[in-house]
Amino acid sequence: MRRTLAFATLIILLLAYPLTSFAQSGTDKEIIVGANIGNVPWEFQDTNGEFIGFEIDLVKEAAKRLNREIKILNVPFNGLFSAVQSGRIDIAISSIGITEKRLESMSFTQPYYDSDQSLTTVKGNGINSLEDLKGQIVAVDTGSTGDMWATANQQKYGFAEIRRYEGLAPAMLDVAIGRVKGYISDIPALLYYTKDKPNLEVVERIPTGGRYALMMAKNKPLVSEVNAVISTLKEEGFINALHKKWFGVPAEPTTSTVEIVDMPSANNGNLLNFFDTFLNKQVFLQTYPMLIAGLITTIQLGLLSIISGLVLGLILSLIRLYAAKPLQAIVKVYIDIFRSIPLLVLLIIIFYALPFIGLNLSPFSAAAVSLTLVSGAYTAEIFRAGIEAIPKGQFEASEALGLGYRHMMGDVILPQAIKIVIPPLTNNCINVIKDTALASVVAMPDLLKQATQAQAVAANPTPLIAAAVIYLMFLLPLVLWVSKLEKRYKKEGAK
Amino acid sequence: MTTLIRLENVNKHYGSFQALNNINLEIKEGEVVCVIGPSGSGKSTMIRCINLLEQYDADGKITVENMSVQKGKDLKQVRAEVGMVFQNFNLFPHLTILQNIMLAPLRVRRMSQEQAETLALSLLGKVGIAEQARKYPAQLSGGQQQRVAIARALAMEPKALLFDEPTSALDPEMVGEVLDVIRKLADTGVTMIIVTHEMGFARQVADRVIFMDCGQIVEQGTPTELFDNPKEVRTRNFLKAVLNH
Ligand SMILES: Nc1ncnc2c1ncn2[C@@H]1O[C@H](COP(=O)(O)OP(=O)(O)OP(=O)(O)O)[C@@H](O)[C@H]1O
Ligand SMILES: [Mg+2]
Repeated sequence: MRRTLAFATLIILLLAYPLTSFAQSGTDKEIIVGANIGNVPWEFQDTNGEFIGFEIDLVKEAAKRLNREIKILNVPFNGLFSAVQSGRIDIAISSIGITEKRLESMSFTQPYYDSDQSLTTVKGNGINSLEDLKGQIVAVDTGSTGDMWATANQQKYGFAEIRRYEGLAPAMLDVAIGRVKGYISDIPALLYYTKDKPNLEVVERIPTGGRYALMMAKNKPLVSEVNAVISTLKEEGFINALHKKWFGVPAEPTTSTVEIVDMPSANNGNLLNFFDTFLNKQVFLQTYPMLIAGLITTIQLGLLSIISGLVLGLILSLIRLYAAKPLQAIVKVYIDIFRSIPLLVLLIIIFYALPFIGLNLSPFSAAAVSLTLVSGAYTAEIFRAGIEAIPKGQFEASEALGLGYRHMMGDVILPQAIKIVIPPLTNNCINVIKDTALASVVAMPDLLKQATQAQAVAANPTPLIAAAVIYLMFLLPLVLWVSKLEKRYKKEGAK
Repeated sequence: MTTLIRLENVNKHYGSFQALNNINLEIKEGEVVCVIGPSGSGKSTMIRCINLLEQYDADGKITVENMSVQKGKDLKQVRAEVGMVFQNFNLFPHLTILQNIMLAPLRVRRMSQEQAETLALSLLGKVGIAEQARKYPAQLSGGQQQRVAIARALAMEPKALLFDEPTSALDPEMVGEVLDVIRKLADTGVTMIIVTHEMGFARQVADRVIFMDCGQIVEQGTPTELFDNPKEVRTRNFLKAVLNH
């Protein structure tokens, strides 16, 4: 077991490595920029699908000054760190704040914007300041500055829970529904976002003193080249003009939007090698309690969904096979629909749409319900196939003996069907456990979510690797067990 | 003697195909009846209607001990009174021999575990395979499996037993042991309807032999009447064909 694990880890790393150090991002001419598109007003899409925004304008101008082509890729915020470290992109933009942690493994240019965090709520929901959030649930973006601030201040303000979303849109949707009472995030984005939405309000500035800069791989020559260009652009007043363009007013003269400042440098910045990046022991030790918490959630969600999916599937399959014709038809429609609907879509409908008809489920319940509905449909088909594989004579012998339906199924048919359905059922269980990761979109802290958050906070992908190893550790034995069973049944069948 | 099983105007259609055509038959308590006839003549269909494994057409009527054989609460009672032995044994492969026999007494007759086990062991002794009780069906020969199936049917202590070609799936050397068991049963006074191709056996055990063709009962009588002096041409042709075989 141990050796298989080590081997599996090695394979992952071998697969990941070429994408990292050896990958040449862009040609010498082309600069590849990764941006979390949708982060207004920094980088988003206009109605023609063009990428626009403060930072888009900035990197385009910088590339022009360096005489280089530019290509912009849409990368989610959490993916930006690995993307830079692996060399898939040269520059990351997304109102990324400079932090000590991030400086340990990344380089930043000088900042061009001084920011704070903010609290946004729905008007008239009774929340007018951070103090009002005592005992309430708050929303943040996974791994963002707001996340770090809220985590550090959870005790002080007595937040009941911090829900981590994958961006502004889903977080604000839940604020609007009222499931969370406030959203803590970068103030410029929220001022821009609420500008034309009279029911939303930024009620408090949270002074965190964040400063945004362009993020790049550690100590690449490009960093100082771009940094020099930024100095020039500040001198020329270009960046302040961008401020006026996107925020309507010029920046204060003492801010980093106007003044040239030093490039930030790490206190203990070493060039990180492969192991420091992907198998960083320190990062692992710091983050594994989070991973364990995530693992527990994943297992709870997985087990609950698997068990209720089994019960639902068994009932559905029996209805499908033996109930009155109209009931059979209804169940068939159910099974067909839930086997074709993407789980993610179902999850989003159940979590974000059902509140409008008064059904307000927690992230865990929403995830469990979605997984159960889908798993039940698949399980029903597996059970049906298993029951139909039992020879007709077994049913007839039971009937001839006078066994009732319940005893015929319970004592004769199902015990035989179970053996047939164990391999496909186990495969289904593996899928359910893997699908729990989709619950990230409804802000549920499962293993993958915790790992992404830890990755963003530590600015290091080690937690992701650790999460992959954890998934392997309990899924691989199941996978191996199923293939063994299948092989054995095949042999028995051949006899 | 009283009538145990009665079929009145029983018809059976599969779509437009008529598998049974106006069957009228009375079986007396303790009677042993053998049913013969060419393949596809409706023998299986007829006896499977008696315990409602096949649903016969609505215009017919079947009764067992004056209980109507139809869907409903009496059906369980009917099936408890009428045991069946199949051509392919249909033992439950996931249960031991002992468990196969105990299942129905436990679940339907609601016997205690000990009662059911005592009964099962004594039945296994009767069919001559008591020493196999803890084995699984797949570990037994065909002849042994069919004897278990007979014991399983007997465990419900039925008034009547239906046999559908009980020896047709067996290797020739195992036919004898199964027929011996059935012969012994005949002597104990159980009512039996036996579909068979074993003419010699039918002549030996039957009180009455029925010849079927094309879904109809063509002729019936004592073995001597039917085998030695058949009245109908179809019966004669059939017997000529099987006996010259
Ligand atoms: N489920 C069914 N659907 C359509 N036709 C059927 C079905 N079952 C039986 N039949 C037809 O009904 C007729 C009677 O079949 P049955 O099995 O009763 O014959 P049998 O006398 O038992 O023959 P054999 O000696 O081959 O067992 C046959 O022609 C058969 O093809
Ligand atoms: Mg037949």
